[in-house]
Amino acid sequence: MAPKYKLTYFNARGRGELTRLIFAAAGVEFEDVRLGHGEWGPLKETSPMGQMPLLEVDGQVICQSGAIFRYAAKETGLSGAAGWEEAQVDMFVSGIDDLQTKLWEVRFERDEAKKEEKKTGLATFVPNFLGNYEKLCGSDGHLVGTSLTYADLAFFNGMHDILNDRPDALEKYPKLAKVVESVKDNKGVAAYIAERPETRM
Amino acid sequence: MAPKYKLTYFDVRSRGEPTRLIFAAAGVEYEDVRLSFEQWPPIKPTTPMGGLPMLEVDGKTLSQSMSIARFVAKETGLDGKNNLERALADAFVDEIHEPLAAKIPTLLAFTTDEKAKEDLAKEVDQLIAEKLGKCERNSGSVGHLVGNSLLWCDLVFYNIASYIEAYKPGTLQNYPKLAKVYATVKANPRIAKWLERPAGQYGV
Repeated sequence: MAPKYKLTYFNARGRGELTRLIFAAAGVEFEDVRLGHGEWGPLKETSPMGQMPLLEVDGQVICQSGAIFRYAAKETGLSGAAGWEEAQVDMFVSGIDDLQTKLWEVRFERDEAKKEEKKTGLATFVPNFLGNYEKLCGSDGHLVGTSLTYADLAFFNGMHDILNDRPDALEKYPKLAKVVESVKDNKGVAAYIAERPETRM
Repeated sequence: MAPKYKLTYFDVRSRGEPTRLIFAAAGVEYEDVRLSFEQWPPIKPTTPMGGLPMLEVDGKTLSQSMSIARFVAKETGLDGKNNLERALADAFVDEIHEPLAAKIPTLLAFTTDEKAKEDLAKEVDQLIAEKLGKCERNSGSVGHLVGNSLLWCDLVFYNIASYIEAYKPGTLQNYPKLAKVYATVKANPRIAKWLERPAGQYGV
């Protein structure tokens, strides 16, 4: 029987990876469709909002990466305890989305002068962001609560490029470093990462 | 004893209004703290992530506007009746709220430079056309974006739509399903009461 969930996205991490990590961490099977550049065009017209990622479940299509990963987290029990904990998880993930958006803005800026300006902005934003998160982070190797939530996965995913460039980037942030280790230690995540295609983004 | 909610935001609609609308629709009382921009700098370092809005509940603090709105929607039963409905509601919120929630009031009230205003207007026009198009295509036709009763996504949409109508009146006429959602929210008795209050000090 086909898996209940079918994720469609580019062959990239981008806005699809968090959902993949959620399913992987929870050990939930999903169809991981990765489209090549030519393949998206014809599908675009039939998609709800002309964008990917898309998640198909029970004949329904959900779009918007946030709606998708939140849904996946709920379905797999990785969204945190209902109520306040869930809201805190949501909060951390929203902040990480801000970080990723800023990182991508720099990456995709073609104008050299603007790019330098944005890089300078990042040099302030990132330490501020990490400082805030370190302060708010739990001490058990999880941002919120005492077991893995998708906030941990989002942080791990959001820090990918930064940690790639500077593996010691979390030296001054021991609680956050512990979160990254917890995620790497998760069997589902480790197996998924070992197999996933290497992509630039 | 019911939880005590305290919402702190600037005296504008923008990113705080969706939560205020949710409280209003649910008939739930809360402390609606509104700061002027001058009051902000000393308060900034005391916030979890250096930004507003923030919500305090029973001594704990939450930030990020849509995390707050989503939480209050859940607490008041306005988030959707199952995970799928919640996801569909989320999709509308994710599409419509940012960046227009800040860009339209900035254009209407906080940009003075003529060239900057022109550039921002062009950007806003494009975003409005793109986003209303997508939302119209996916909206339900009974006066709700998702399902057949008021959900928080209708209120998040209403906040942006009221900015759009202030900026370019009549825009919604081109989007009949969305116009119906807008009218349905406006006609909700608790929302209608909320909308009677005077505008904040900045007029947006």
